[in-house]
Amino acid sequence: MGTYIARRLAHAALTLLAVATILFVLFRLMPGDPTAQVISPALDGAAQARLKAAFGLDRPLWQQYLIYLANVATLEWGQSFTTFEPVARIVADRMVNTLLLMSAGLAMAIGFGGALGMLMAWRRGGPLDIGATLAALVFQAAPPFVTGILLLMVLSYNLDLLPSAGMLTPGSKLFGLWEIVTSADFLSHLVLPTAAITVYYLATPMLIMRDSMLEVMGSDYVEFARAKGLSPAVVMVRHAARNALLGIVTVASLLLGFAIGGQVVVETVFSWPGMGKLMVEAATRHDYPVAQATFFMLATLVVGLNLLTDLSYGWLDPRIRTGHAR
Amino acid sequence: MRRRTFLQSSSALAGTAMLGGLPGGAGAQTAGGVVEKRSLITATAQLDPARPEIARLIAQACQKIGFNCEANPMDYNQGIQKVVMEHDYEMFLVILAGSPIRIDPQVFIYGMHHSGEHRRGGFNWMGYANPKLDALAVQQEGMLDLEKRKAPVFEAQQMIYDDQPGTIVAYPQLPMAHRSDKVKGLVPQLGEGIGSFWSDIGMEPIGGDGYVVTGHNADVKHLNPISANDIFEFYEIGMIYDRLMRIGPDGKPTLWAAKSVTAADDKTIDVTIRSGMKWHDGKPVTAEDVKFTFDYHLAQKAPFFLAYLRNIEAVDVTGADSVRFRLTKPFAPILSTVLAGVFLIPKHVWERIPGGGVDDALKFANENPIGSGPFKFDHWRRGQELKVSANKEHFSPPKCAGNLRVVYGSHDAMAAALEKGECHRTRYAIGASHVDQLKGKPNIVAKGYPTHGFYHLAYNNKIAPFNNPAFRQALNLVIPRQQISELVLLGYAEPGASVISPANAFWHNPAVKAPAEDTKKARDILQKAGFTWDGQGKLKYPA
Repeated sequence: MGTYIARRLAHAALTLLAVATILFVLFRLMPGDPTAQVISPALDGAAQARLKAAFGLDRPLWQQYLIYLANVATLEWGQSFTTFEPVARIVADRMVNTLLLMSAGLAMAIGFGGALGMLMAWRRGGPLDIGATLAALVFQAAPPFVTGILLLMVLSYNLDLLPSAGMLTPGSKLFGLWEIVTSADFLSHLVLPTAAITVYYLATPMLIMRDSMLEVMGSDYVEFARAKGLSPAVVMVRHAARNALLGIVTVASLLLGFAIGGQVVVETVFSWPGMGKLMVEAATRHDYPVAQATFFMLATLVVGLNLLTDLSYGWLDPRIRTGHAR
Repeated sequence: MRRRTFLQSSSALAGTAMLGGLPGGAGAQTAGGVVEKRSLITATAQLDPARPEIARLIAQACQKIGFNCEANPMDYNQGIQKVVMEHDYEMFLVILAGSPIRIDPQVFIYGMHHSGEHRRGGFNWMGYANPKLDALAVQQEGMLDLEKRKAPVFEAQQMIYDDQPGTIVAYPQLPMAHRSDKVKGLVPQLGEGIGSFWSDIGMEPIGGDGYVVTGHNADVKHLNPISANDIFEFYEIGMIYDRLMRIGPDGKPTLWAAKSVTAADDKTIDVTIRSGMKWHDGKPVTAEDVKFTFDYHLAQKAPFFLAYLRNIEAVDVTGADSVRFRLTKPFAPILSTVLAGVFLIPKHVWERIPGGGVDDALKFANENPIGSGPFKFDHWRRGQELKVSANKEHFSPPKCAGNLRVVYGSHDAMAAALEKGECHRTRYAIGASHVDQLKGKPNIVAKGYPTHGFYHLAYNNKIAPFNNPAFRQALNLVIPRQQISELVLLGYAEPGASVISPANAFWHNPAVKAPAEDTKKARDILQKAGFTWDGQGKLKYPA
C-alpha cells in the first residue's frame, strides 16, 4: 500500500509541474502584447516603462518563469495585476463561492442520479426507465445557459418566486461565511443555479448507476440474496446498489473537476461570483498571476480528485490495494 | 502561409516608402499597377458585436471604387499591438470612447493628428503629418482664452476633415436605462450618460432604504487613484475622492474643491481651496495635501496623468488654503486634464506608501480608501457589490443615502434585473438591443445619451494607396454611414464627420458635415488624381 501511494503521489506531482509550465507558456502565447492589456498602450512611454517594472514584466522570460515556479511551490501567488490584492486571497474567496454552488449542485445530481439509476435498473424497461433517460439526456444536451435562462424566466422574472442574480440581495448585512451560508437569503439565491447544475449533470451518474446495477443484478450473490427470501428493497439497496457504487465514485470525482471548469456558464447566467467568472475575467484582462493561479488550482483539484479516487478504489476494492489486479 | 507573405510584402512596402521618403504620391513599384487588396483590422464580435459588422459594410462599399478590402476582426489586444505599437497595419476600425478628459479638443486634435505623436504607443497611429495642422495644434494648446482658442480648433477640424487621414464613421450614443419609479434626479453628462458623477450626487431614490442600485457587468478593478487608468475605476474613485475642479454636465471644467482658479499669467495658475473640507478620517484638507497630491503623482509616475503632469514645473504652497501651479509652457488643457483630472489624496495616508508591506504605490490595493469626496467607502464584496454611503458633512452632500454598485453576469442579466426593479440604473452603456427591448416597459426609461466619442476608421498614411489624399477623400464618400448608424447601431448613432463631435457643442465646428454617399463623385476624384480602372473594374494606381 505504501509504495502504491508513493507512486501515485509522484505521478501527481509531475503532472502538476507539467501543468504549471504549460500554463506559463500558454498565457504568453495569447495574442497581443502580454503587456498591452495590463498596461494600456495609450499611456505615456515613461508611464508604461514604470508599470512594466512594477509588475516585473521587464525581466527576461526565464526569470519570470523561475519566480513563477517558486510561487507555485509556496502557493504564494503574488499580487493581482488588476486589483493588487494577494492572489491567494482572491482565489480562496472565489473558490469558496464556487464550491458552495458546485457541491450543492453535484450532490443533488449524484444523489438523485444514483437513486433514479437504481430504481430504473430495478424496473428496467418500465415507464420510469424510459422517461427519466429521455429527460436526463435532453437536459444534458441542452447547454446549461438555456436551462438556466428558462429557469430564470419562469421562476424569477414571471412568477417572482426567486431572486435572479448574485449570491445575496444587494446591500445585505451578512458578512461571516457561516452567517451567509445559513441565511434564507443565500439559500433562496442558491436554488436556481443549483437546479440548473443538477439537471445538467444528472444524466451521467444516473446512467452509470443504472448500468452497474444491471451488471450487479445478474450476479450470483444477488440471486442468492433473493433466494434467501430477503425483501426486494433490501436486496436492491444493501446488496446490489452498494456494489454498484464504485462506478459512481469515479464519476463523481471526474464530474467535480469537469463541472468547475464548466462553471463559467452557470456563474455568468446567474451572476454568481465564483471561480469560473474569475478565470474568464483574469484571462481576458491578461491578469497572469490570477489566471495562472485559478487554472493551476483547477488542475490541482482534478489531479487531487483523481488521486483520491485511485486511493479510495484501493479502499473500496482490496484487489487493487494488494496489487492483484495489476 | 499566404497571409504571412502578404503581411511581409506590405511592411516591406511601408519600409521603402519611408526610406525613399516618397512624398504623398504612390511609390514607383506601384505605378500603373492594380491597387492591392488591403486588410481592415477591427475587434471581434465578442468585444463589440457592431465592429465586425461595420468593417464588413465598409469593405463591401470599397468595391464601389474598385478597391478590394477585407474585414479582419481579431483579438483587441493583438490589434492594438499591431496598430498602436508597431504601426504594422493597413486600415483599423476602433471606437475612441468619449471619456471626460477627451472633451477638451487636445486629445483629438493634437494627440491624434500632430506629427510628433506618430510614435510607438502614440495616438497618431495613422502617421498623419501636415505642418499646417501641427502649427494649429500647437497654437490652440497655448491659448488659455477659451473663446479665442475656438478659432484654431475650428480650423483644425476642417483641415483634418479635408485631408481625411482617417474617417469618422459614426457618433454612437450611450444606450442606458433606469427605473423612473425607483430613482429621480439623474443628471446626464456628456460621454457618461446617467452613470455620471452629477447623477451620483443629484439622484434621489424613491422608497426603499435610500441606496440606489447601479448595475454594471464587470467588477471594479481597484480603488487606487494613483494607478487607475480607465473610466470604470474613475466613476467609483470619483465618488470617494474630490478633485480641484470637475468636468460639468456640459463638458466644461467647473470649480469643485477649488473656490477659485485664476491665471496670474499664461504660465502661472493660482488655486484657493474651500475652507472647512475634511478627509473621511476627520483630518482637515490643507494646501499641503494639494501640493503633496501633485508632487506624489509626478514622483510615482501616475500612468494616466503623467503626460499632462509634465507641463507642471512645480506646485508651491502660497497660504493655508492656496497653492500656485507653475507651468513649463502655456498649456490650456491643464484645467480639464490635471485640475479636473487628478484626485486629491491625504498626505498623512500616502506619504507612508511605499512602505509597510506595500512595495510600490501603483500596486497598493487601497482597501480602505480615505478621500474627502461626497461619498464614504462602506464595503466591497469582490465580484458582487461595492457600497459607498453619503458623506453628509461634504460641501455638496448627495441626496441619496448611498450607492450600491452591483455586478451582473451579463448585460442580459442586468436588463432583466432592471425590468424586475432589482437594479435602478445602469452605470455605463449597455447593448443597443437591450435598450430597444426595455423601451416602453412600465417605469423604465431606456434611451441613448450623447457622447463625444466616435467610430474611427484609420488609414496607414505611410503606405499606398492611403498615402494619396485623393484616395482617402474618395473612400470618405463611399462609406455607408447611414446604413451603419441605422442598421448596425440600431439608430443609436449619427453619421460622423468631424473629430470633435456635435455633442461636444462648444468645440464642434458645425461647418464640418457628414457627406452624402456619392460613388460618382468619389470616382471623379480618383480619376482626376490619375487613378484608372482595368477591364474588370479594378482600381489601378496613377501611371
